[in-house]
Amino acid sequence: MSMMKRLDELMPGQGGRIASISSCGNLRRRMMEMGLVIGSELKVIRLAPTGDPVEVLLRGYSLALRKNEAKQVILEVDAA
Amino acid sequence: MSEYAENLSSALVQRRYEWIASTVDSTVKKGSGEIFTLTDMLDQVFLDKHLGIPIFLTILWTMFQFAFAVSEPFVVIIERVFEMLGAWVNQAISDPYLASFVSVGVIGGLGSVLVFVPPIFGLFLALSILEDSGYMARAAFVMDRFMYRLGLHGRSFIPLMIGFGCNVPAIMATRSMDSEKDRMITMLISPLISCSARLPVYVLIAGALFGASYAGTAVFAVYALGIVLAVVMALIFRRTLFKGEPSPFVLELPTYAVPDASSAILHMWSRGRMFLKKAGTIIFWATIIVWLLSVHPWEATSGGQVIAESYIAWIGHAIEPVFQPFGWDWMAAVALLFGLVAKEVVVGTYGILLGAEEAGLGDALVSQGLFTPLTGFAFMAFVLIYVPCVAVIGTIAKETNSWRWPAFALVYQTALAFIVTGVIIAVGRLAGLS
Repeated sequence: MSMMKRLDELMPGQGGRIASISSCGNLRRRMMEMGLVIGSELKVIRLAPTGDPVEVLLRGYSLALRKNEAKQVILEVDAA
Repeated sequence: MSEYAENLSSALVQRRYEWIASTVDSTVKKGSGEIFTLTDMLDQVFLDKHLGIPIFLTILWTMFQFAFAVSEPFVVIIERVFEMLGAWVNQAISDPYLASFVSVGVIGGLGSVLVFVPPIFGLFLALSILEDSGYMARAAFVMDRFMYRLGLHGRSFIPLMIGFGCNVPAIMATRSMDSEKDRMITMLISPLISCSARLPVYVLIAGALFGASYAGTAVFAVYALGIVLAVVMALIFRRTLFKGEPSPFVLELPTYAVPDASSAILHMWSRGRMFLKKAGTIIFWATIIVWLLSVHPWEATSGGQVIAESYIAWIGHAIEPVFQPFGWDWMAAVALLFGLVAKEVVVGTYGILLGAEEAGLGDALVSQGLFTPLTGFAFMAFVLIYVPCVAVIGTIAKETNSWRWPAFALVYQTALAFIVTGVIIAVGRLAGLS
């Protein structure tokens, strides 16, 4: 059983598989080039001390995204 | 870009990663379980919810301490050597005009360039080490939310902080930013961050006028004013000249690494050389021009001895009316003009004009009644806001590859200096201060 969630809604420790990226243009290309492509698995590691941006583990490396950008990433999350 | 091209480039990236994933799956064997690396450990501390920001501020402070502690002895050596050279030239050259030109113009000019070198190289070295260690991306990560509220990017923070040391490397450090708008805003507001060259001026004026118990507060107030103005101008620029959102924050946090000494030194050198070539040339020529204006007419100034009779004093008298509403005299005008070369020159100029040694300068300012606490504080504010120095303008020209932006920076900062100083004086007078 799985459900769709935006990346900015996830808590540290939670993760999922990317279902779609809703941004477009340069930002979409930049996000995809950083490895945010459909099918990739990622996991939220932590939030910055101020709560934004968010750090995720993706393809074995750490990527930081502002929540504005993170909410463009739609994930398929296994419902616990 | 058309929709098809966009779809195509997305599809290419998508396929590329799918190919990488399948290749990795079929060739790489992974151990089971997650590995807790050194980077994970460090990040658990450095990016901790409560410790993250204090650690960041401590690292910044350490960076300044390092840069200035390392450079301090070199600054002293350079100052001594150039003093000795100047004195020696004065004795060795019999023609007084030539002696003055070489000792004050050329050697003084070279000296005023070279005293900048140790702290700037020190800052660049600290910056390279921080970059190579992998912490710089974390600094942006920690500060991004705060900077985003100001219409800036997390990456703006480090250049602005460097500005407390010197605005020239601050402007050069904006290169790490990939959005042109974010970079321009950061570049234009960075001169409002009070650099270390302005501190001697504050110390002189505040020390003379506010006494030991309030001088510190006055100096702190000027620093705070600079930060507030930088924030206000960032918000204004974001809403006028550089409309739009700050660029997106999608940044890799790289694995920590021990910085390599040779690459750190190489980085320092390649950036430092830029400063020497560009800023150095400008400071040097500015010093020569100031020398020309301060010893001529040669007869009237008794061979450069009496600045009060020189062209620069004439200019000071000519622009004095502009500063009269603030309660400043022609000497302040001259000092501010000289201050364009470098801010600490303001102190030296008062020394020459009042014929006082640096230690007795504060008393001389008070006994001559040049400033009241109100006009003195306004003077400190003016020194903070108007163009930091020719090197900053030259660096903006170099970094933007135009004369439009440095001209704009010059005009906006001077205008802002007049406005803010005017407000300080007006409010002070309304409050009954003289």
